[in-house]
Amino acid sequence: MNHSIFRILVLLLCLSVCAVAENHSAAKGVHPSDSDLTDVPVPKTNDPWQRLNRTTFRFNDGLNTYALRPVAHGYAAIVPLRVRTGVTNFFDNLNYPVRFINSVLQGKITRSAQETGKFVINSTAGVGGLIRVSDHISSIADVPAEDFGQTLGVWGICSGPYFVIPILGPSDCRDVVGFGGDYAMNPLNWHTLGIIHDAFIPNAVSIALSGTKFVNGLPKSVESYDQLKAEAVDPYVAMRDAYLSYRAAQVKK
Amino acid sequence: MLLHRFILKSALVLLLGAGQLSGAASSDDAATTLRSSVEEVLSIAYSGHANETLAARVRPALEKCFAFDIVTRQAMGPGWRQFSTTEQKRVTDLFSELMIRTYSGRVVGTQRPKIVFGSPVATASDRCEIPTRVTTSSSNEPIAVAYRMIKLPAGWRIYDVLIEGVSFVANYRAQFDELIQKGGAVAAIRTLEAKLAQPVPSNS
Repeated sequence: MNHSIFRILVLLLCLSVCAVAENHSAAKGVHPSDSDLTDVPVPKTNDPWQRLNRTTFRFNDGLNTYALRPVAHGYAAIVPLRVRTGVTNFFDNLNYPVRFINSVLQGKITRSAQETGKFVINSTAGVGGLIRVSDHISSIADVPAEDFGQTLGVWGICSGPYFVIPILGPSDCRDVVGFGGDYAMNPLNWHTLGIIHDAFIPNAVSIALSGTKFVNGLPKSVESYDQLKAEAVDPYVAMRDAYLSYRAAQVKK
Repeated sequence: MLLHRFILKSALVLLLGAGQLSGAASSDDAATTLRSSVEEVLSIAYSGHANETLAARVRPALEKCFAFDIVTRQAMGPGWRQFSTTEQKRVTDLFSELMIRTYSGRVVGTQRPKIVFGSPVATASDRCEIPTRVTTSSSNEPIAVAYRMIKLPAGWRIYDVLIEGVSFVANYRAQFDELIQKGGAVAAIRTLEAKLAQPVPSNS
């Protein structure tokens, strides 16, 4: 990873650490059983960059409508669901180091062992990860996937301000840093980052694989976004609340 | 995007709480009746009829088991107290309609999902939370769905559903908060009417 990217990640991590506590109550929420939720004020969300975020959200919405959706529909029409699932499984299996390292970093040793078991079984009996054989083994069928954003959360670093990333969508400062960490831990990027030097794997291969992963995931992500938009009265807030709640729940797992 | 996993995972699982819930006395009874409710709704959702008519067909079952008035009241937040009785009735009707439409819009595919019920957790003397794990044909991993239920004189009713930790009530509550602060009940009613006037997206 070059130094400028590293500096940006450190800056975001600092923001995440510093700009937190007073507004972090949003992620905690209020359990309706504690009292009648009707009378409880709605917690403030840590979204100081809302104007910029809404602009980026509109940009992403346009991108989804005019670029990503046509690509997603075209891809889904050509590539059968079964093949898309296999490709998703393959890349998911390849992402094993991210889940393993983060399980260890969080002190979840049993979970890291389960991840290793999943990887070995899916890589062998699952034909290089195309088939999730592990789904049929109860002890490793349902292992929560760990990432670096969650690790930072477990370490006590707050999420920081909500942040919408162009193209990628909702995030927060902690998860932006987490994204950088996961990027470095993913074998798909090791050649690009110079972690491995194999003359037989040119950068073009890494980029092509990353592109395949992105396009293969488009039908699902576009469908998800369209569904959220169809149900929401304020899609920006709906997305923000769902993202922050979802990530808060993942950190607790 | 991480979020797409959550939304896709939630496909159709919101429906699973529908059906008749009896006036059971304990959270164990709530869990038992939830199971039969799931069966009833799945029977309706996967009866082989056209999805266009699903909202109308599933409405009676949903009305029997969801506390729509409590869900609506909590989704509107503190501003609810400022609504007139007529406005409260109108908002409840519109929001219930949106919920039913949302649920029926999430029935995707033709294969019934598999559901594993967890043990109910009592959160108060008259409330409990029932965790479930749902596996659908379109999801790679099981989906965590929790039902929050309340015991009313008429029996146990669902008052919130959490999918992968995201509360249905809290999500709408966040959306309506600023809207109601600025425009009160009129803004809420106008927004809901506009939302319901939009065409229903077709299920894939």
